[in-house]
Amino acid sequence: MESVTLNYGSMRAVKARMGRQLGGVWSWLLPIITLLLVAGGVMLLLVEQAVGWLVIGMAAIPFMFHQWHKHELKELPPIKSGSTIDDLLSIDILGRLSKNPAPNELAVVLGEVQSGQFFAARFGVGSQFLQDIAAKEADKTTLIWQEALKIKEELGLAEITGGVLVVALVRAFPGYENLLAHVHIGDDDLIQGIKWQEHIKFLIAQHGKPRRTGGIARDWSFGYIPLLTRFGQNLSDQISRGGLLSADLEAHTQALDQLIETFGKGGRQNAALVGAPGVGKTTIVHAFAERLLDASASIPESLKFRQVFILDSSSLLAAAPGRGELENLIMQVLGEAYSAKNIIICLDNAQLFFEEGVGSVDLTNVLLPILEAGSLRVILTMDEQRYLQIGQRNPSLVNALNRITVGPATKEETLAAMQDQLIVTEFRQKVTYTYQALQEAYRLSERYVHDLAMPGRAIKMMEAAANYSESGLVTMNSVQKAIEQTLDIKVGVASDEDEREKLLNMEELIHRRMINQSRAVAVVSDALRRARAGVRNQNRPIGTFLFLGPTGVGKTELAKALADVYFGGEDRMVRLDLNEYVRSEDVARLIADGADDPTSLTAQVMKQPFSVVLLDEIEKAHPNVLTTLLQLLDEGILRDIKNREVSFRDAIVIATSNAGAERIREYIERGYQLEQFEKQFIDELISSNQFRPEFLNRFDEIVVFRPLEKPELIQVIDLILAGINKTLALQKISVNVADDAKQLLVDKGYDPRLGARPMRRVVQRAVENTVAKQMLSGAVGPGSTIEITFDQVQQILGSQTEADAIAARTNQQVGESDEKTTGPA
Amino acid sequence: MFILGLLSWWYGAGWRGRLAALREKLASTLDYFSIDLLLRTFFSPFRQISAGRVDGGLNVQMRAFFDRLISRIIGAMIRLVMILVGSLAIAFHAVIGTLFVILWGVVPLAPIVGIGMAISGWVPWNL
Repeated sequence: MESVTLNYGSMRAVKARMGRQLGGVWSWLLPIITLLLVAGGVMLLLVEQAVGWLVIGMAAIPFMFHQWHKHELKELPPIKSGSTIDDLLSIDILGRLSKNPAPNELAVVLGEVQSGQFFAARFGVGSQFLQDIAAKEADKTTLIWQEALKIKEELGLAEITGGVLVVALVRAFPGYENLLAHVHIGDDDLIQGIKWQEHIKFLIAQHGKPRRTGGIARDWSFGYIPLLTRFGQNLSDQISRGGLLSADLEAHTQALDQLIETFGKGGRQNAALVGAPGVGKTTIVHAFAERLLDASASIPESLKFRQVFILDSSSLLAAAPGRGELENLIMQVLGEAYSAKNIIICLDNAQLFFEEGVGSVDLTNVLLPILEAGSLRVILTMDEQRYLQIGQRNPSLVNALNRITVGPATKEETLAAMQDQLIVTEFRQKVTYTYQALQEAYRLSERYVHDLAMPGRAIKMMEAAANYSESGLVTMNSVQKAIEQTLDIKVGVASDEDEREKLLNMEELIHRRMINQSRAVAVVSDALRRARAGVRNQNRPIGTFLFLGPTGVGKTELAKALADVYFGGEDRMVRLDLNEYVRSEDVARLIADGADDPTSLTAQVMKQPFSVVLLDEIEKAHPNVLTTLLQLLDEGILRDIKNREVSFRDAIVIATSNAGAERIREYIERGYQLEQFEKQFIDELISSNQFRPEFLNRFDEIVVFRPLEKPELIQVIDLILAGINKTLALQKISVNVADDAKQLLVDKGYDPRLGARPMRRVVQRAVENTVAKQMLSGAVGPGSTIEITFDQVQQILGSQTEADAIAARTNQQVGESDEKTTGPA
Repeated sequence: MFILGLLSWWYGAGWRGRLAALREKLASTLDYFSIDLLLRTFFSPFRQISAGRVDGGLNVQMRAFFDRLISRIIGAMIRLVMILVGSLAIAFHAVIGTLFVILWGVVPLAPIVGIGMAISGWVPWNL
């Protein structure tokens, strides 16, 4: 192990300080002084003053210092066989240190150097943060050096960089992991940061390296390609002009090697890159083109300096709209490519050339013989499904192709690809991404972006977040905002004051439109609070509940109230009446493609993932429908008919059932409290085969709703009256119903079998009719309050028969479609 | 130490660095003119004009042969010119670069030489 001392007077330390002094203003002042001295000397000689020689000679001094700074002092490498800290410390830091620096001085220095600023911008671990946690005693620095040397050895670095010192300083603080948690990172992330920084250094060094591209002779050896230049994109030309920045991705190395092997040996000279959209097929073609242009690359001679052209299907179609014309043009273009001897044609999104459609044309008859002959080098890219479809239509086409499968990238590879892509995105969008933003983009894209594979989906998410940057900085928050805005969901932890208030008072808010059923209200409120505090299982729906109980007790109403109070309106409820899914074939309707049936469950949730999903009358669904729903309840995922994953992980799933309603009433009538019979009741449901145990086990909570009692029904009447008053508020009229009249309304409207459902109609009939009559007779005007008395209610409802008739109508409707109407309030 | 550091770099890593830069410059010029590739493809048809195989009778074959011959001769002539131009460019870079490397060695002496020349009072156009 190297010595952990800093030799302030060592040659390297002195040079580092000198390099720092000669940097800045001097770096451009020295060449100017040199030029001025030479010019001045020459002018003196011109006027026959021999002192001009002296002036010219003196120009050597600033020139030498400038050269020394430029070629050595500025980037003084570490001493490989070095034994002290000053031998191994990065030059920009070494040049700023005092003789005996304390850890907090290191923190200050890190704020001045690029490598330290990298951690401030990318991780939020800036100089001030480090100064706050760093010790002020100089004797503590030895521990920092020891840790830095350890990290350097572990990562196999050539020198102790600013990043290494940042990590060493952080690690020296007791309980630093808790501290890092505040900025949403861990120790591993900081290590990733060091690697990221080293990778950027490597990319810059690679980019600065001179290219060997074959020069003039390369072009003269091969044919003219005017048509190809017109209808294709010359990747090789763009690369040789430095116009493309395609980074080498580990995930693509295997496919790239296969591509070189396919074209480097005999046999059919074609390759089909097959993989899901977003895996980077086109990027592989770019990397391939770049490799062919690199004279130092170990590739077969027959591939060196070959040019890769991507054919542009749209410009070909535009130039030759007629059927025969297009085939003719394609033949000419391909003939030109063949004659030129150095062209590799790429058909990006090759399905555009093999099927009829908007912007695509079936050229199988033209292309198949060329692909089968295998003399013209062709690369095709297409996604797996299209490849299979084309293979189904034309097996000989697939047989003629050398397939290379490109798989999706792993998390590490995706993050590396994002970091490479970042260089271009940051330059174009004029933003800076934090490391946390990249991690969040990966996490959220994995969950919400389903039309692309990794790394494409994460990169898409990352790029979308640029529009939500704050002061040019793209943070975790920007990524969350991007997905919240585009998908209309909530993904972050609740931080807004209003939202927190709402969550904490959820029960009270729901009870403003629901009477009692406290346990049910509490379990859904708790689920929502868990979700928005970020402590729930992310791989399941926010909550899955089964509400059991007789009709008219508020099961559906609770779902509606939840959608209204938290999800932003009753229209945020996706409602499915499962009595319409009683046949096995109905499974297809449940998961139908949105383009064919926008009312299917998957289509509605795909459109609106942040919602309440209400599965009404679940006991009536066909067992196959219930089996399909199992995965939804378990993993929060349902695959639609096109095998696309639809996420229910931002939804609350509520299933309701009237099963066993009679048994609940029996228990209540026998004087049991809900808590006393709930478990036994559920066991009875299982043993009566109404629900399979594995289905019931999938729910987070099974809540039994009890029938409402008469005192509670008075409160229901108050809620109904509040609704009526809300409607009348437009006319500046209000209604007040006397207590004994309310009691009468309960007596007339309550039906033990239908719960509170008929009551709304009874109340509406009694109150609204009275109001209507009084308004038309001119007895009331704006600003009036209509008092409704017991007698008026009795008169309007007439005899018991009137109320019974209303109840009977309600009963009939309920029979037709139970629970389709609203709940008690 | 300050001057020593500068001089030890100047006549050590600094001088070697200039030599490496000269080598790099020559390699880059060589790549641009690609003389080795020009030589290897010296008699190839210029830009593949009339390079393809032709089907047909003897007269068609003869015409194609002569077309190809002309294409090859034109190609050879153009390549010859480029080889000459390239060689000159490389030679020019080599001479200038070598001169610079040699001069590099005498730059530290320039102040002393300048003092001497100033004392001597010699001015080239004042003979």
